[in-house]
Order: sequence, then C-alpha cells, then structure tokens
Amino acid sequence: MAPEARRRRTLGQILLLSAGFLVLVAVSTSSVLLVNKARSDNAWVVHTIEAENQINALLLEVRRAKSGARAYLLTQEQEFLRDHEAAVAAVGPVLDKLSALVADNPRQVENLARLRNVIETRLSQFGREKALVASGDLPGAVALVRGAGSAESSALIGTTAEAMRTEEERLFALRTANADASQQLATMVTIAGSALVIVLAIISVVLVRRSARARDEAEVRLRESNLNLETTVDERTADLREANEEIQRFAYIVSHDLRSPLVNIMGFTSELDELRNDVFRRIATLARAASSSPPPAEGAEPELEGADRQLSDDFSEALGFIKSSIAKMDRLITAILNLTREGRREFSPVRIDMRELIEAVASTLAHQAAEANATIRVEPLPILVSDRLALEQIFSNLIDNAIKYLKPGVPGEIVVRARTKLGFAIFEIADNGRGIDPKDHHRIFDLFRRAGTQDRPGQGIGLAHVRALVRRLGGTMSVASELDQGSTFTITLPINWKASNRNSER
Amino acid sequence: MTMPVTIIMIEDDEGHARLIERNIRRSGVNNEILPFTNGTDAVKYLLGADGTGLEHKGHALLILLDLNLPDMTGIDILKTVKQNSFLKSAPVVILTTTDDSQEIKRCYELGCNVYITKPVNYESFANAIRQLGLFFSVIQVPPAA
Repeated sequence: MAPEARRRRTLGQILLLSAGFLVLVAVSTSSVLLVNKARSDNAWVVHTIEAENQINALLLEVRRAKSGARAYLLTQEQEFLRDHEAAVAAVGPVLDKLSALVADNPRQVENLARLRNVIETRLSQFGREKALVASGDLPGAVALVRGAGSAESSALIGTTAEAMRTEEERLFALRTANADASQQLATMVTIAGSALVIVLAIISVVLVRRSARARDEAEVRLRESNLNLETTVDERTADLREANEEIQRFAYIVSHDLRSPLVNIMGFTSELDELRNDVFRRIATLARAASSSPPPAEGAEPELEGADRQLSDDFSEALGFIKSSIAKMDRLITAILNLTREGRREFSPVRIDMRELIEAVASTLAHQAAEANATIRVEPLPILVSDRLALEQIFSNLIDNAIKYLKPGVPGEIVVRARTKLGFAIFEIADNGRGIDPKDHHRIFDLFRRAGTQDRPGQGIGLAHVRALVRRLGGTMSVASELDQGSTFTITLPINWKASNRNSER
Repeated sequence: MTMPVTIIMIEDDEGHARLIERNIRRSGVNNEILPFTNGTDAVKYLLGADGTGLEHKGHALLILLDLNLPDMTGIDILKTVKQNSFLKSAPVVILTTTDDSQEIKRCYELGCNVYITKPVNYESFANAIRQLGLFFSVIQVPPAA
C-alpha cells in the first residue's frame, strides 16, 4: 500500500472517530436542552390550568356572594349575611392570585382589569342591597335585585370570565402542543443522533476491517518478496561463489604450472653455471699454457687475467640476477599457492574462547616479542563460534606484524581488546609502532604490496590473507593509523558464525 | 644392486627429465632409465601388449612418476600400477611440483612408496635427486611376481 493512501486512511479513521464523538456531544447537549424546554413547556401548561382554576374559584366566590346576598334578602337571617361576607372577603385574595398568575399575558391583564371592575360594581350593588335590607327597605332592595343593573353586571362577570377562560384554554392548547412538540423533538434528536453514531461506528468497523485486510495482504506480499529476495540473493551468492572458485582454481593451476618451467630455468641456469666454471677453467689453463708461465700448484684453481676475468665476472653477474629473480618468483608463486589453498580450505565453526586462543598465539610469538622488546597485553575477550585455524592465522599475522614494525628504540606495547555489539564482536589490535601513512591504508591490504621502510623480510601477503579470511568469516576489517603514531587494526566478526553463510559449497 | 632394475621415468617435461637423469647418473646409478613423456605410452608399456602386465613378470621395475601429465594424472597411473597383480610390488616414487597435503596423503593411501616435491632451488633439487639415486643404489626391488 502506498504511504499516501495509508496516511489518508489513518486520517479518515481519526476524522470518523472525532465525528462520532462530536455527534454524541451534540446529541447529549440537545437532549438536555430539549428536556429542559419540555419541562418549562409543561410548567406553562400547569400554569394555564392553575389560572383557569383561579378563574373558576373567582366565579364560585362571586356566585357564593350572590346567593348569600339573595338568601339574606329573603330571610334577613344573619347567618346568610356572614356567608355573603366570607365570600366577598375571599374574592379579593382570589383576584390577587389570579392577577399574579396572568401578569405575563397583557390580554388577560386587560380582561382581569375589566373583570375586577365588574366584580367591584357587583360587590358595590350587594353593598347597597345590604344597606337597604339593614334599613328595613325590603321592597327597595328587591327592586334593586330585579333591576337591570345587577343582572347586567352578573352577565358581564360571566362573559368576562368566559373570555378569560377561553383565552386560558387557547393558551392551554397552545402550550400543550408546544410541550408535545418539544418532547417529540427531543425523542427525534436522540434517535437521529443514536442512529448517526451507529452508522459512524459501522463505517469505522468496515474501515478497520478493510485496513486489516489490506495489512494482511501487504504482509503476504512482503513475505513473498522476502522469499524472492532470498532466492535472488542465493542465486547471486551461488554465482559469486562459482566465480570465486573459478578464480581460485585458475590461480592454483596457473601458479602450479608456472612452477614447472621455473624448475627447468633454475636447473639449467645452475647447469650453465657449472659449464661456465668448466669453460673458464679451460680458458685459464689455455691462457697460461700460451704465456708459458709455470703451471699452478696441484689442485689450485687457475687464475684468470685481464679481459678473461672481466668476461667471467659479467657471466657470474648475469647468472646471479637470473637466480635471484627465479628465487623471488618462486616465493611469489608459493605465496599464491598458499593463499588459494587457504581459500579452498573448508571452515568449520566451533566454540572458541578468544582470550585463550589469543594468549596461545601470543605465547608462540613470545620469543620474537622478547627480542623486539615488546609486551603483548590481552584484555578480556568474548567467546566466538567460528573457525579456529582462520582466527589463529588472522591474529598471529596481525600480532606478528605489530612486533615486526615497531618504532626503533621504543619498547613495544601491543594490546588486544574487544567489545560486542549487535551480534558482532569488534576486536582491536593496537600497537605503538611506526604506524602507516594514511595514503597507504588501502595498499597494505593488496597482495604483494607493502608500505613504509622495507627493512623487514616479507612478501606483502599477510594482510591480504588476513582480510580474505575475515571476509570469509563474514566480517570486515579496517585500519586506523598515522606515521609514528602506532596502528590499530579493527576486526568485526559475527559472534555466531555459521558455515552455511559463505562456504557451504566449498 | 643385485639384479638389473629398470627405472621407468614418467615425466612430461623434458627439461625435468633431463635434470633428473643427470643427477641420478651423478650419484653413480647406471641402471637403465626408460623415459616416457605422457601417461598413455607409459601405461601401455607397463601393462604390455595384452594389458595384464604379464610381460614384466620376473623384471624388477622402479617407477618415477610425475603427477601432472598432459593426458592423465599420475594418480591414475599409480592406481593402475598398484591394482595390477604383477606390478603392485614395484616401488613408486612420486616426484612432482604438487605439494598439496591432500594430494600427498592420497598418493600414500594409494600405495606410493616415496613422495618428493620438486624444489625450485636447484641445489635442493639436485641434492634430492642424488639422494634418491643413492636410495636406488641400495634399495632391494622384488621382481614382478
């Protein structure tokens, strides 16, 4: 999967989750708000019912006052008068309560004001009737009751109250509808929100499953490409190994076959040398005979003279150069042979206590070290699984070099130390010797190449050999050095080397 | 030597052959030396016309063998000799440039009697051959059964 698409997918999932969370918050908030609204709507409905109740109570009290007044008029009994008075007294508070209840509605306030007026008119009519009864003018009072005034104000009370009730009923209907609406809204919002959350959750689950599937596919692809890669690497390794073996065989055969003619060249050069001796001995004898000088003592070599002597010396010089060149060529060929032989040797990994191994190497070099006035210090070293002989050759070459190339007049100090890191052991062989010019750092690892003052015997093979061995053991090596500052060779080797890494087909 | 031993020298390099012969002669060995420059001729001679080696019955042979031959390896010849009932008692001296320890081991396992690596240094070479000549002059070689 492309990283772009993966990032988009991750982003999408985060967005989805945030959206779900936001929806949840919105649903909760609106639910709380709507429930509050529904509660206040309900309160208003209750309020309306209360107002209606008060209106009814008011009308009841007015009626009670009216019937009390009538009864008193008919019977003049004080009991009815008290009834009437109580009803009239109750009218005031009921009116006050009502006015408090309807204070929010200007239309009702207006209605109430009218009602209050009418009721007051009616109460004052009752007052006048009572006064007439009290003064004994019964017919006057009856006439007043029968008169248009009282009937009119009674009817007016009725209609005004009716108007108020109608208004309250209208409000009731309105508020009930409102309350219903807000409750419905709350329900709908909750349902819609829940549905949205569920949908988001489903999308999320689908996305997660899809990305899981994509991941599984990617894993399968990765495994496949790993396998492919391994096959490719194996093929390449096999090719390289074949090429390497070809070179080894080539080097072996060439160096081997070069040896045969060399034996002849050397052999016949020596024969030639013998011939030369014979020839010049004869020349000397002849020359002596010609100059008739006394013959030399028995067994003594005849002496050559002048030009003859010069000729003989030239002959010897030429033969000497040929012989020394052949000797050198032989050493080189032997070195190549040994190298290729090492290259063909099969490595077998075994458990090796490196400290033990290097101390053994150091003890075989102890004599040389003592002669060169050098000390070898071996610090604690790890335990490796590797090829013993190869490691011995590596370290004995390096320590031998360190002993060979010390600074004249300075006691040598050679330290072997190691540390481990990520499955590799890093060895350092450090000396305080003459050092190596940085421009020669590459050269010293080349076959037959040497650096610095050539005052020690050697073919320029040791380090080339060491590096080849280190490589075969799956490691690397490098050098850090300055002229006159000593050298430190660093070798990194796998702690657990397996033969199959490199040379399984050797 | 009590009886005339024939030295069979199988050596493809004529220069080497010459040097070997010279040095053997120098050590005072005057036995007949039969040189062969390739393996095929040598094997043909050793096994005779009938291919059984019967021809050499009663002859004392000493074989000087080089391992690197143009047509076969000396090891094949060594095997042939050591598997032949008439020839197997003949001493085989391997004189070659190969100093591979595996090769040396193999030759001794196959029944070679002496293995000598030709030194490039002529002094050593001549010395080795002369020593070999001295060895030849005292060695008792059984006749082929």
